[in-house]
Amino acid sequence: MPILNHWNKIPRPLRIIVSRLAIIVPQMLGVMLVTFVLIRLLPGDPALLMLGNMASEDAIASVRERFGLNLPVWEQFIIYIKNVLQGDLGISYFTSNPVLVDLLERAPATLELITYSMLLTCLIGVTLAIISVVNAGGPLDYVTRIYGLAAGAIPDFWIGLLLIYFLFNLAGIAPPPFGRVDAFIITPTQVTGFYTIDSLLEGNWEAFKSSVGRLALPVLTLSIVNAGAMMKMTRSVFSGVYKSEFIHHQVASGLPRRVIIKSALRNSMPPIVTLVGFLFGFLLGAAVLVETIFSWGGLGQYAVQAVVNSDYSALQGFILFAAAFILVVYLIVDIIYGLADPRIEV
Amino acid sequence: MVNFMREVLRRPSAVFGVSLLILQIVAIIFAPYLAPYSPVEADALRSLLPPSGEHWFGTDVSGMDVYSRVIYATRINLLISISAVAVAFVIGVPIGIVTGFYRGYLSSLVMRIFDFIQSFPVFVLGMALVSVMGQEIWNVAIVLAVLFMPIFARLIRAETLSLRDRPFVAAARCSGATDISLMFRHVLPNALSPAIVQVSISIGMAILLTAGLSFIGAGVRMPVAEWGLMVSSGAEQMILGVWWVALFPGLAIVISVMSFALLGDAIKELSDPTMRARR
Repeated sequence: MPILNHWNKIPRPLRIIVSRLAIIVPQMLGVMLVTFVLIRLLPGDPALLMLGNMASEDAIASVRERFGLNLPVWEQFIIYIKNVLQGDLGISYFTSNPVLVDLLERAPATLELITYSMLLTCLIGVTLAIISVVNAGGPLDYVTRIYGLAAGAIPDFWIGLLLIYFLFNLAGIAPPPFGRVDAFIITPTQVTGFYTIDSLLEGNWEAFKSSVGRLALPVLTLSIVNAGAMMKMTRSVFSGVYKSEFIHHQVASGLPRRVIIKSALRNSMPPIVTLVGFLFGFLLGAAVLVETIFSWGGLGQYAVQAVVNSDYSALQGFILFAAAFILVVYLIVDIIYGLADPRIEV
Repeated sequence: MVNFMREVLRRPSAVFGVSLLILQIVAIIFAPYLAPYSPVEADALRSLLPPSGEHWFGTDVSGMDVYSRVIYATRINLLISISAVAVAFVIGVPIGIVTGFYRGYLSSLVMRIFDFIQSFPVFVLGMALVSVMGQEIWNVAIVLAVLFMPIFARLIRAETLSLRDRPFVAAARCSGATDISLMFRHVLPNALSPAIVQVSISIGMAILLTAGLSFIGAGVRMPVAEWGLMVSSGAEQMILGVWWVALFPGLAIVISVMSFALLGDAIKELSDPTMRARR
């Protein structure tokens, strides 16, 4: 097997990356098939649905032409793939912009929101999981269990509204829930698209404070709800490790508790990395609801607008974007997992 | 069965869950007697009244009684969620058993498709499907059924894979049982318990998803009394300090989801003999 010999000579990290990258191609094709079929599921004339009821005869004819709606379905699918690969996701009839432009413009807002939410969720979830495992059976364990149960039952959009009511309306500590920065502030020039980072880069202290303040409530909303699930899953991994023999040995050797927790946590890391990847994808879905409440102006709000206005090109674009994003996250997670765990065979 | 009930009553969390569930069943059956007003009758003159003796939970922006709507909404929310999960169960279980029993090309293809469906965030896929299919009550239920079906198929398949090579299956096969009878009379009863635990948890998830979909306008439409829709109709007022319109339907969601989660926990503990012995 000469090919296999060559393959085994490649350094392991590279092998992990290449073999994982190879999987993403059929996955992306699958995603495109789903978004294509989704729109084809629509009853009625796709051209009419894409353009809305006000479309003229000419416009409909030109859309038919462009998307090849008179061709057999598989040819249409190939045309769709070609369009997507060229970055043509159609035109949103609600904003009259190309869908890709709309999506790219809004993506940083959503990414900033879910990145910070993920950090806070992990912090809360992992901390509570450790507390509950270390104090198993104690009152703290009981409290974290109740939190886990409650957090799983609370709708995120509702807790967001309650936070607005208590912290903005009653207490007056939180900024108003309208967008990413206060209205009178000049938004920082885009480098990363994260207002918190861009404002720091140009030393715009006011914009930084304002964007952190605006982030507080939506991030808190997403974290309160999702940290419960994160805690439950981390706890089941961590408690397994905490019962294993090397921990018993450490306890018997009289190591301080802090050191024991640290080494147990280190050994629970690989499954937790997978969880974090899953959480990232999940937060993208949850952001749809939370963005609506806080007028965040990100992808989630765009998707809701698309649903409400039956703007199917925009909706199709959003689904494609969301799926591609999640595939990339899973790709990164798998690669990190492979690098972190030397037992994984490539 | 009596034993089962006794075991349930021994756990405070299970008792709490069951009593919340009974509360909802009462609300479903006796809604017309419990609700002082019609759930859909608007009265512009009584818009946004705060909670009082006359309107226990206040009124919403179009003057509908929030208390009456919360009570009536139990019907629609549980109807959608329970029927969606029931359909998912009834379709998912046979798929799981067949794909677990015959391990071949086709069954791994089916599993890959399920993997793929499940890798999407549930809410995003649900939103897209409902808006494409049209925002009807039954479409929400169908979409939820499609989203939950892989969960049941996967659970049953995993159990089937571990059961199919057991001696009792071989014994049944030797005594001339057909594949159908092997699958459904011998394997299925032994493979069901994780899926049954999942039913209760899934109903809770379905309630949250239904409410979320209605909240963004991709589910049930006004003036139907539905919890998520009610929270959404109070969302704008919340910023202005009108808390009652969104608070009470949200509480109803929490109670409902929590009751099914607690029930699921109880069933899980009871169906696992090792957990039962520990008490």
